[in-house]
Amino acid sequence: MTSLSVSHLTVNFGSRTVISDLSFELRQGEIASLLGPSGCGKTTLLRAIAGLIQPTSGAIRFGSQLVGVSSVVLPPHKRGTGYVPQQGALFPHLSVAKNIAFGLDKNKYTKSEITDITREMIGLIGMKGMEERLPSQLSGGQQTRVALARALAIKPKLILLDEPFSALDAVLRDELRTEVVGLLRELGSTAILVTHDREEALVSSDRVILMRDGKVAQNGTPEEVYEAPISPEIAASTGDVLILPAQQSGSGATLYPLSLEGGANAGSETGYVVIRPEEIRVSTSADMGVEGSLIHIDYYGHDAMLTVSVAQSATPIKARVAGPADFTVGQKVYLQHLGPVRYFSRQ
Amino acid sequence: MKTQKDFGSYGLRALVVGVLILISQPLIYLVLRASEKSGTDVIALLTRQKTLEVLGLTLALLCIVVAINVFLGTAIAAGLHYVRIPYPRLMFVSTILPLAIPSYVFTYTWIALIPSLQGLWAAAFILVLSTMPYMLLAVSISFARIDSGLIEVARSLGLSKFAVFTRVILPQVRRSISAGALLSGLYVLSDFGAVSLLNVETLTVSIQNLFKSSYDRSAASVIGLLLFLAAAIFVSLESVLKGRDYESRGAEGFQQRIRRVSNLPLSILTTSVLALYSLLAVALPFYVLISRYLQNPSAVEFSDLATAALSTISVAAMGAFIAFVLSLPLAFLATQGASAFASVTEKVTLMAHALPGVVVGLALVSFGSRLGPLYQSVFLLAFAYAVLFLAKSVASSSAALNLVSPQLKEVAATLGKSKSSVTLHVVFPIALPNLALGVLLVFLTAMKELPATLMLRPTGMDTLATEIWSFAAISRFNEAAPYALLLVLIAAIPTFILTIPRTAQKESAQKETEKKVSYL
Repeated sequence: MTSLSVSHLTVNFGSRTVISDLSFELRQGEIASLLGPSGCGKTTLLRAIAGLIQPTSGAIRFGSQLVGVSSVVLPPHKRGTGYVPQQGALFPHLSVAKNIAFGLDKNKYTKSEITDITREMIGLIGMKGMEERLPSQLSGGQQTRVALARALAIKPKLILLDEPFSALDAVLRDELRTEVVGLLRELGSTAILVTHDREEALVSSDRVILMRDGKVAQNGTPEEVYEAPISPEIAASTGDVLILPAQQSGSGATLYPLSLEGGANAGSETGYVVIRPEEIRVSTSADMGVEGSLIHIDYYGHDAMLTVSVAQSATPIKARVAGPADFTVGQKVYLQHLGPVRYFSRQ
Repeated sequence: MKTQKDFGSYGLRALVVGVLILISQPLIYLVLRASEKSGTDVIALLTRQKTLEVLGLTLALLCIVVAINVFLGTAIAAGLHYVRIPYPRLMFVSTILPLAIPSYVFTYTWIALIPSLQGLWAAAFILVLSTMPYMLLAVSISFARIDSGLIEVARSLGLSKFAVFTRVILPQVRRSISAGALLSGLYVLSDFGAVSLLNVETLTVSIQNLFKSSYDRSAASVIGLLLFLAAAIFVSLESVLKGRDYESRGAEGFQQRIRRVSNLPLSILTTSVLALYSLLAVALPFYVLISRYLQNPSAVEFSDLATAALSTISVAAMGAFIAFVLSLPLAFLATQGASAFASVTEKVTLMAHALPGVVVGLALVSFGSRLGPLYQSVFLLAFAYAVLFLAKSVASSSAALNLVSPQLKEVAATLGKSKSSVTLHVVFPIALPNLALGVLLVFLTAMKELPATLMLRPTGMDTLATEIWSFAAISRFNEAAPYALLLVLIAAIPTFILTIPRTAQKESAQKETEKKVSYL
């Protein structure tokens, strides 16, 4: 069942077009990431869905209900979206419990129901015993948890998370993200997570919507956008890539520096091949692959990135190997490309 | 949402227009009254020797006081902040404390000490003493906001401490210096008590004399408009000179690490200047008041004192409350961001700020019997206070409302709260302490107000200010002392709150910033 549908949405700020003819859909219970560089319109899109800004044209539907077009718009307080903004934005004058209960309508719920829901939410985010604390007495991670609980408490049709983890340090960020995504899945929530962290987008969502200049550049599962990018540029936005010049021969074979048939003939390149560094196998035995010389090692601990210069390619080749890696700079190595050959012709 | 939002802002605009019409009544009436005179009469009145002398004297006083305030005030504030001095907190409070002492009380304590004190330079001396705290408060707050990281960066780029001060710090406090100059300048233009006691005939004294002696209210109105014009020119001059507005992105969290300059001669100089100022502006007036009171403790009946105190508090509170209510629509408009309407409103409010008490008093008293039961009632006086201090109230209310981040309002909206509910449950609770502080500030100022009170108080009603005035004017200092002591003590309470919780307030702003930084 479709939970959210955005069709032909355009948002202009004055004469500047921030979102341009953008469309996508989300199914019930789906978690989507909006991934893109800063200024590409991610937050604007999120705010338009929440009803906080007015679209110039296009429509936003929750299920079958039309909530936003350019002329008549359901105001934000009637949309029932759980919005978790960039800085959490807890009400500084209210305790944790009162922040969480803030959106629970006293006409809709009895006092004891409100208490129950609040207690349940506090349990969900693992903050029992901190009900009476003020936001200023909480750590960054706790504040994010409370902001999420506040959004979830109103049983929203849709949760909108605007880079909720970006303020946290790396370890806490991973932990909290796993926790929050787990929680959203448990509750079957439909959610949109705005992020500029490519790993965060891939690991936490069912669907990655890649945005560029106010448009959807690619929309698919994490595997699809990572494995089958629609352009070299998009490939680079979801992970490390090698973009090598290539030539498609008449027989259908693709010639590129690491192909078995050898590199493209100089001057007759027709496009590019996009390779992920982890798709290259590096070995020290001469039996297979293209010969090269190891010129640099970036050591990350769990893996290492090797930079290898090969005769066939002007740009050095980067290959990722699992650690512990026992290579030394200056060594002769042999490279073999194992993954799919993604060829993009020159425009 | 579009229609709903526009509807809301139409309602707000209607309210704003209503407030503006209400507060501009005195000025409109003054113009009507002045226009009863023929054009040639007005020109003759404005160009006669006497008027020119009075105008010249007023402007001379203005220039002297503002110039001294700008240079000395900035230097003192800088010393308070950047030089190692003993008890910096206490020093700060004692330099702000003179805010509680009205200029006419200053003057009378000094005349009690030196009976021959009079003339332009005496007035300049007294007015510098009483307006310096405005300058110090304005500049100190902005010194406190400067990110010490900037100072460290500038030092690392090879600037000397002095160069850091002139090239990094001063440009950032320029707007505050300008604001302090505006506040103290307007104080000088509208001061009546000090100049009158020191026999310096400035525009305010001239207006009061014309009003009292000849009951020629048209002539008084013409001079009143001249005074208003001078103040208005001063206000617009300031808004041109203050330069561009920019948001300092300094993190207040770094404030703690400010290093004071430890240089013995500089410390001694700073400490002595501060001590001298406190001596002249706080210790001596208090000494005179207390010793005069002790000379004859029973000079004034306790019941008279209590009655005057009660009238002062009640009418000032009423005025502060009216000003607060009137300020809210304007403050809400100011928080909605820049628009042509908002900027016009801001200018009109600033103009109201330039209306001296004597002018508002004159205008309202000239309405006379047309006001029906309102005439000769405390409500009229309270309304005069509201008009006089509206700009103050708008400034503090909009500052308070601006502290509420727009994000909080948005989150509240997504949680199902309507605009009015957001205002009630989010904006007001968060802004409340600062809104209250604003009301307190206006209350404090209204209690000390003299010229409008003299003109508008109902027959038989005495406030502390009018009692001090009447006794001091006939040199009965012993009788004036208990009233003055009481007024200063009452007025010192809000002044204390203004200085001490200023830090608490800064800390919360600081926490707010830290929190934001931790979220980013």
